[in-house]
This record gives sequence, structure tokens and C-alpha cells, in this order.
Amino acid sequence: MLKKRFLATALSSVLALSALAGCANKDTGTPEKGKDGKQKVELSLMLTPQWKGVMDPTEKGADYDSFFKYAADKFSKQYKDYDVKVKVEVVASEQRDELLNVKLNGGTPPDIFFENTFAMGDYAHRGALVPLNDIVDDKAKEDIAQNYWDTVTFGKDVYFYPFSHMPGTLAYNADMFKAAGLDKYIGGENDIKTWTLDEYETILNTLKKKLPKDAYPMGIFALNNQGDTWNLAYLRMFGNKFFDEKGNIVLNDANGVKAAEWLKKTYKAGLTNPGAESVSSNDVLSMFQNQKVAISFTNSVLFNNAKADMEAGKAPKFDIRLANIPSESGDPLTFTYVSGAAIFNTKDETRIKVSKDFVKFFSTDPELVKASKNGIPVRTSVVKEFESTNPLFAAYDKNAKYMFNFTGGVPGYSQLRQVLYPELQALYTGQKSAADAVKDYQEKGNKVIQDARANSVIKE
Amino acid sequence: MKMNRHVLKENLTGYLFIAPQLLLFLIFLVYPIIEGIRLSLYRINYTNQVFVGFENYQQLFQDPVFIKSTLNTVLFVVFIVALTVIFALFVSAAVFDKNAKYVSFIRGSYYIPVMVSMVVMSMVWSFLLNPANGLIPYVAKQMELSSVNFLGNPKTVLPVIIFITFATNVGQAIILYIASMIGVPKDLFEAAEVDGANKLTIIFKILIPMVKPTTVYIIIMNIIAVLKIFVVIQLLTGGGPNNASTTLMYFLYNNAFKYNQLGVASAVGVIMFLITLVLSFPQLRSMFKKN
Repeated sequence: MLKKRFLATALSSVLALSALAGCANKDTGTPEKGKDGKQKVELSLMLTPQWKGVMDPTEKGADYDSFFKYAADKFSKQYKDYDVKVKVEVVASEQRDELLNVKLNGGTPPDIFFENTFAMGDYAHRGALVPLNDIVDDKAKEDIAQNYWDTVTFGKDVYFYPFSHMPGTLAYNADMFKAAGLDKYIGGENDIKTWTLDEYETILNTLKKKLPKDAYPMGIFALNNQGDTWNLAYLRMFGNKFFDEKGNIVLNDANGVKAAEWLKKTYKAGLTNPGAESVSSNDVLSMFQNQKVAISFTNSVLFNNAKADMEAGKAPKFDIRLANIPSESGDPLTFTYVSGAAIFNTKDETRIKVSKDFVKFFSTDPELVKASKNGIPVRTSVVKEFESTNPLFAAYDKNAKYMFNFTGGVPGYSQLRQVLYPELQALYTGQKSAADAVKDYQEKGNKVIQDARANSVIKE
Repeated sequence: MKMNRHVLKENLTGYLFIAPQLLLFLIFLVYPIIEGIRLSLYRINYTNQVFVGFENYQQLFQDPVFIKSTLNTVLFVVFIVALTVIFALFVSAAVFDKNAKYVSFIRGSYYIPVMVSMVVMSMVWSFLLNPANGLIPYVAKQMELSSVNFLGNPKTVLPVIIFITFATNVGQAIILYIASMIGVPKDLFEAAEVDGANKLTIIFKILIPMVKPTTVYIIIMNIIAVLKIFVVIQLLTGGGPNNASTTLMYFLYNNAFKYNQLGVASAVGVIMFLITLVLSFPQLRSMFKKN
């Protein structure tokens, strides 16, 4: 009896203890040795879809991670301090913040994130990124113009290493224009055409009359925050400055309301795709590529990818060209996304050091920086090298004087983006007038900025 | 004291046997609940946590989007649960006493959507309803009919979500009801028929009262499931238009993962926990009554 009882107690003790086994710390012991006796370091690099291929989207098997896999391999071969492996992961832009917030709150941020810097500024304000001042040398400062450094500097520190930039414009289907008799509004193949607002309205109205009934003149969207920079540009069409000197939203004035009214009027007149409140920017891109929309939003990378898809037979082929977002004053509206790498504070000195070395490597290596030609290079040296073969570089350069800073450099920009599209949805569905939508956006937006400023670790 | 020690020694083996399960329960269920309650009292940044008392709760009750989310969630719970119970009762009562192959066919047909992931169902509905390139608006346009944006109209978006969720979930309730109805003793129906009761009387006076425990179970399970409705909102409407279809779970998700307001999100979680607890109370009471 006693023996049986002892056995049962012993068995149950083992069972109870086994439940705890999984909670034990992983035995890290001495660092794992890799090639040539060097210590192994594994980095995780994440990026949102940028350009396909190492240097060109036409390469065989070109994908969004090709460049970084190639760069990691090249880096690893020449790196003396550690045996480095880089795990490259492409994440959807609309999932970026969800993913990063989960990883940050779980204490497992990626080492490196390559993205358009406007979307990542908040992470610098939250203290999640490490400054990169120590890997930026004078040579880089000379080759990359000051305005790009300004975009990636928060407070006194540089948080992103600028690689390329992507000016945002409109793209139009010149074949549809020709079919509608709008030949005189078509710009050159390597031009960014500027229309006045009156001309733009004529184009939209003519397209509406001449296009097949399942195609629409202009693509608009307000399902979520994706592609909202173009919506921000449309809201400046009548001269509103959007931010004041103190970094507060000032959209609620006569010009801001007029711009919102223009959007509503254009939408209601059937000059755009229907259901803007339920349509995403991706939907509009697909419609444009399938020739269901004549004028869409684009940036330099999307434009190149669209052309490459046409060449590869993945999308119907048509004559695609660029145009500026028009404004009432006649001066076009344009902006740019500076792309670059940021390094997260993983609290692991070794990984931060290796990450910095890797970021510096692919942002300065003479061969690798040439990949920035897929967007527009931030390096003057690369622009010069490719301007003869890529005449659009000159067109973008000519456009640069019309650029506006769409983030205003304000903290809380990510959350600010979540406030705009519900107001646009209310505008398109008629739940709110243009004046009310603009007023409510300003009120809610300024509250977001105010709270984010109070919580920011960067004191400007 | 001596007695207690003796009892403890006597039951030690038993305690040790339940220890693993208890331990996992404490770590993975009780601890997150306590941690959630704690976090709801803090303002959390990446670098620090500041105790703010009930400020997060105050902020929530002043937020019109939170109020809208709560009302929408209540609406979803009421309509989806009512529709599910009524429709499942109707289908089950109509088929449970028919040929076994026919019953299997009906059961299978309604159960297929339950097996398909909600993500896939939402994507299919999105493909059908997308106002710009969806199949239904396309056909409507080709037929020169006026097209309605079901997902973009605040008046239609809730009924559409209710219908999609109901259509996806009702199979489960039908399976449970049919199984329960088959188990009702046949002599009750025969006695009723001898007494001259018609089909409707049999359903209302015998069948429905006899399957009451199943009804209670379906109601409670569906209430808990619908309270957490998320995927269909995320994939189909994104809470729009202008927060017209946002729910508590979607509001929580946005605050936790998009706005990084973990304190506020935890406060929503605590409120949802309390609502579920209150709604589950009748079931708990009936369980204790039995014992």
C-alpha cells in the first residue's frame, strides 16, 4: 500500500515538474562559433516592398528581397569581425505598424528596418531606434544633399541612412487619353506633365464621356491609411499650408474646405471610381494596371514596377506616363518619400554594432548604391552616373522645387494617418459636409500631435 | 492545524496530479488577466510605464468611437445570436426526423462555411462587394442597374456583416440542434400525435423545450464568439465608413497594434472581460444548479 502510494506521489511529482521544464532558460553558454572561428551573429532585416531584383526588376527571379539577400552575402564574405547571417523578411506596408508594435512590446524588435522614413519617424520619437550619427561620414554628407539629411534627422540625431527617394506624382494612361481625343494634354515620354486645375477638370470630364462604362477617369481611395499622401496633396490643391510653424494642423480654413469640396464634387460627378470609402490604394493600382482607371497615383518605384510588369507580360501593356498633381495656383504639387534603413535598439551591443556596419556597407558600397536607381538616388554621384540612361531623373529634379513636406516633421504621424481616412469616408458618404470633415480632422489631428509631443523622447 | 496537515498529506498525490494543469492555467490564463487589469491602469511607452489610475477608462467613455464600437457590438450580438438560434431551430426542426441521408446532406451543406476560414469568407465577400471592381457592382453596372455600395453605406454595412457572420456560423448550431432533436424520446411525439397535436404545437410545446439546454449553450457560445468579432471587420470594412462598423475587438486591436496605446487597449479588454462574465453568468448558474 505504502509502496503504491509512494509510486503515485513520485509519478505526480515528475508530472508537475515536467510542466516547468519548458520555462527553463535556454542554455546560451559560450557564443556559437561560425566560419573561421568567428562568433556567429544572426540579424533580422525587414522591409516593405520596394524595388524588385538586385539592380533591376527585369532580372530573373527578381523579388523584393533580392537586393538585401545579395548585399548580406557580399557583406558576410568581407566582414572580418563576425560570421554574419542576415534573415531578410518582406512585410506588407499595411501590416508594418502592427508587426513592429507586437515585436517591440514583446521585446524582440528586428535589427534593421528598411522603409520610407516618413512612416518610421514615430519609432525614433518613442525611443525605439538608435541614432546613426557615428556611421555617417563626411564623404556621405557631401554626396547626399542636405534636404535628405534633414528628412532623416530628429532633434539632433540622424535615425535613417538615406538610400533613395520616391517622388509621388500621378500616372496616366496615354492610350486612353488618345482614344478620348485628349492628345494635346499628353506630355512627353520622359516628362512629368503639368496641367492647370481647369485643364485637369476638362480631362476628367472628357474621359467620363469617352471611356467605356466600366472604366473611370480618376482613381481615388479612402479605405485605410495606405496611399494617404496623395489625399494629403489633394487637400493642398487650393493653397492650404496644412501645418503652421509650430507643427499644428491648420487645414480648417477657406482653402482647406474648398479642397475637400472639390474632392466631394469630383467624386459625386462620377469623375472617379465609385465607392472611394471602401476602395484601397491597392485596388486603384490594380484598376489602373487593368485599364479601368485612366489617372492614378504613383511614385517612381511603383511606376518602374508597373512598366516592368507590362514588359514581363504580367499586366496589360499600355502607354503609361507621368503628370503632376495640379493646383489652383498652377504650380504643381509634389512630394517625396526618402527610403532608408533604421536600426532598432535591441539592447544587444554586438547586434547593434554589426547592424550599423551592415547598414553602412549597403548604403555606401559603390556597387550596391547603384540599386538606388530603381527609385531616385539620393547620391549625386549615382544620379550623375545614370542620368543619361534614365532621363526621368532630370524631370524629377526639375520638379523638386514644388516639393512640400507632407509629414510636417510632427510626432505621432503614424496615428495621425489613422485620423484622416475616417473623415474622408464621412465626406464621401455624405455623413459630414466638407467643412465639418476638415474641422473634425484638424481637431482630432492636433490632439494626436499634442499627445505624441508630450510623450516623445526627442526634445526639439 | 494538525487535522489540516493530515488532510493535505492525504491528498498530496491528487494535488500533484492536477498541478501541471493548474500551473498552466495560472500562467496562461490567470496571469494575463491580472496583467491586463494592471496595464489598463498605466500609460505605456516603449521606454517607461506611468501609473494613471482610471484615466484610460475615463478617456474611453469620452471617446465617441468607443461608444459606437460598444453599440455596434451589442447590435451584432443581439441580431447574429437571434438569427442563428431562430434559423437553426427552423432548419433542424424541419429535417431532424427525415431520412438519414437527407439529414446528412443538409447538415453537410450548412457546415461547409463553418469549415472555411473566416479570412477566406471575408475575401470572397470583398471580391463580390467591392464597389470599384467587385462582381456584384460590375453585374449591376452591366445591367444598367443603380449600384449600391453595401460596405460603404452606414445603413447597409451592419446588416451585411450580420448576414455574413450568421451565414458562416449557423452550420454549427444546426449540427448541435439536429443531434439534440434526434435524442428527444420518440414516444413524446407519438403521444402528442395521438392527442391530436399538429406539427407546430409539437415543435413549440415539445421540441423547443426539450432542446433548451442546447439553446442555452448555443446562445452563450455565440455571444462570446460575436463579442470577439474581428476578422470580417478588419478584412471587409476596416471599421468604416467613418467607424460605422467598428466593434470593441477591432477598437482594441487598433489601439494596441496601430496606435500603440496599450493601456487604453487593456482597458477595453477588461471591459470586454466583464461583459462576457456577466453574459456567461446564467450558464454558470444553470451548471451549479444541476450539481
